[in-house]
Amino acid sequence: MANNEENRDIRSRQGINTIIVNSARNMHMKTVNARIPQKSTPQPLSQQQNPQWNNFMVNRGTQNTSTIHQRFKSPLAPRTQSTRHVCNNPNNPPCAHCGTTIIPSPKAFMPLEDNPEIIINNWKISTKKKPILNSVELEDWENNKLKGLALPEMIFGNNAITIQNIEKDWTLQFNTLDALKMVKLEDSGIRVSYSNKWLDAKKNNATKNSNQKSDIDESSLKIVHNYDWTYTTEYKGTIKQNSKDSVEYNFQRDDEVQLPIDKLSRSDKILFFDDMILFEDELADNGISVLNCKIRVMDERLLLLSRFFLRVDDVLIRVIDTRIYVEFDENIIIREFKKYEDQYSSVLSRHRLSHSYDPKAALRDSNWVVANSPLVTRECEILKF
Amino acid sequence: MDLDKIISLIRQGKHIHEETVYTLCLNAQELLINEANVSKVDTPVTICGDIHGQLHDLLTLFDKSGGVENSRYIFLGDFVDRGFYSLESFLLLLCYKLRYPDRISLIRGNHETRQITKVYGFYDEIMRKYGNSNVWRYCCEVFDYLSLGAVIDNKIFCVHGGLSPDINTIDEIRDIDRKQEVPHEGAMCDLLWSDPDEVMTWSLSPRGAGFLFGKNEVDNFLYKNDIELITRAHQLVMEGYKEMFDGGLVTVWSAPNYCYRCGNVAAVLRIEDDLSRNYTIFDAVQAQNGVGNAIIPTKKVQMDYFL
Repeated sequence: MANNEENRDIRSRQGINTIIVNSARNMHMKTVNARIPQKSTPQPLSQQQNPQWNNFMVNRGTQNTSTIHQRFKSPLAPRTQSTRHVCNNPNNPPCAHCGTTIIPSPKAFMPLEDNPEIIINNWKISTKKKPILNSVELEDWENNKLKGLALPEMIFGNNAITIQNIEKDWTLQFNTLDALKMVKLEDSGIRVSYSNKWLDAKKNNATKNSNQKSDIDESSLKIVHNYDWTYTTEYKGTIKQNSKDSVEYNFQRDDEVQLPIDKLSRSDKILFFDDMILFEDELADNGISVLNCKIRVMDERLLLLSRFFLRVDDVLIRVIDTRIYVEFDENIIIREFKKYEDQYSSVLSRHRLSHSYDPKAALRDSNWVVANSPLVTRECEILKF
Repeated sequence: MDLDKIISLIRQGKHIHEETVYTLCLNAQELLINEANVSKVDTPVTICGDIHGQLHDLLTLFDKSGGVENSRYIFLGDFVDRGFYSLESFLLLLCYKLRYPDRISLIRGNHETRQITKVYGFYDEIMRKYGNSNVWRYCCEVFDYLSLGAVIDNKIFCVHGGLSPDINTIDEIRDIDRKQEVPHEGAMCDLLWSDPDEVMTWSLSPRGAGFLFGKNEVDNFLYKNDIELITRAHQLVMEGYKEMFDGGLVTVWSAPNYCYRCGNVAAVLRIEDDLSRNYTIFDAVQAQNGVGNAIIPTKKVQMDYFL
């Protein structure tokens, strides 16, 4: 400690150390260089391997969409190669409308701001990724922002994905703080699989040793601090709107609306992609609770998936998906919310029926779990500017 | 068996033959069976927290703290799971233990159990590397012999998780029959699992199992055992270490950039002869961008057409 203070003293007397500035520059260069697209841009698999399949996809798209997605009146004719997106990102090499995908680096060093973004028409999409919160930030969250919640182990509190309509100054953001604010500060009723056994053993022990060594009494076996330790959150994103605009834009509930899966299944070039965890907890090795957000932006549309995945080993499985779909030309935005839940044993038994030597591996894969768990809730909302 | 040669192979991340692992584990058991539940260690010593299979960061740890050839170490457990080199990390520590028995103490963490390693990566890693689970079974046998704690100069108590309401004095830990899979309840379980928190007394975790303990419990334990510090690991700390309860307890975390994505730094704590504390902070080994790094999973986001 003394050493550190000495160093700091020297530093403050001499201004910023040249070595520090240089290493900052080096790191910056490394970060930037790492993003320069490779010469041979990897093509999506389907295009590379089977051009026929690709044609088929496009054809199928033209035929089917007219029926299901008439409401979008989307011009399905292939766009001419005039580019219309703007990569407004000082820390990334310019894409110069060459069509190369921007993949933001997961982490920028030093005080450099790392907010890669892309603009298409009126829509600006940006992401932010940082390490987990440090103790100063944690203390602030614990004592002020999220009072009453014992925080999850890993909080990527400075991560966020933002979708903004520039013209209307309307923003939909997925961020960690707001997601955690929706975790209930009450007993979830869920217990780890061996809870009863554990409690019984402690109670027996306490009575046996009531006048001897054990420190615990009845009150120690009651939960004092109640919060949902599974960190279940039904977060659907945070909407921010500039108040000076007189018109308020709200989603309209319409469960009939479906996401245009056919358009999303096409292998349109992905111009911007990011994938991040907002928070994660290992539930003291009783499973996992994780909120993950990812986004892909194509020339005409984008899809964002925010997935909460909970597995309490030998107890239950829960997945909460929020999907955001934006059709840029139509200025339409759809929000779909789905909740899946089942008992651990039921999901596991479905796997045993199918195949494989290690069924528990499947229970770590949220995609497999979603495909094999019953849908409990589905809601859909739509907003058109 | 040429330990130095095996150590050099492990340090390079090379494949170790099943028979070699078997012999190593057998020898380690013979050595560990003679150790007490709570081993006594002299200063100066370096205390290290969770490793979690991050072999290359473990090598950095030894580099930055003098190396086992020159100084003493206590590892607080959780050698395996999560990272991609659980086996190599654990074997390296075992080899060091065999090669320099009085310079390294290995304490059991909650991940050194059959049940947990099956879910959190070690078992999968062995299946991937050997095609069968033999090596996993040999290692699990060794886990059962790891000690439960250590005491430095009768003044500092080291454990993986924390305190237990069933344990008032360190001597009571010596009565536990430790050579078994970690049970789901009881003193042995608490020592490996419990967490410090801002609570007034022993409190049940909202998960329905496991204890939280507060400043009162720590102060009591320090007073009754005439010690001045409890060092433990078990919980991720962004800064590598965290002192609590007026310095009566410290959490040490030694897995930098945990799970290859948390961006945290790691720390080890060196206790000098006068019991003063010195923390050494270190960062994760960087993945080499662009080359498709062979040793650390690439940090670049993989694009996919998710729906």
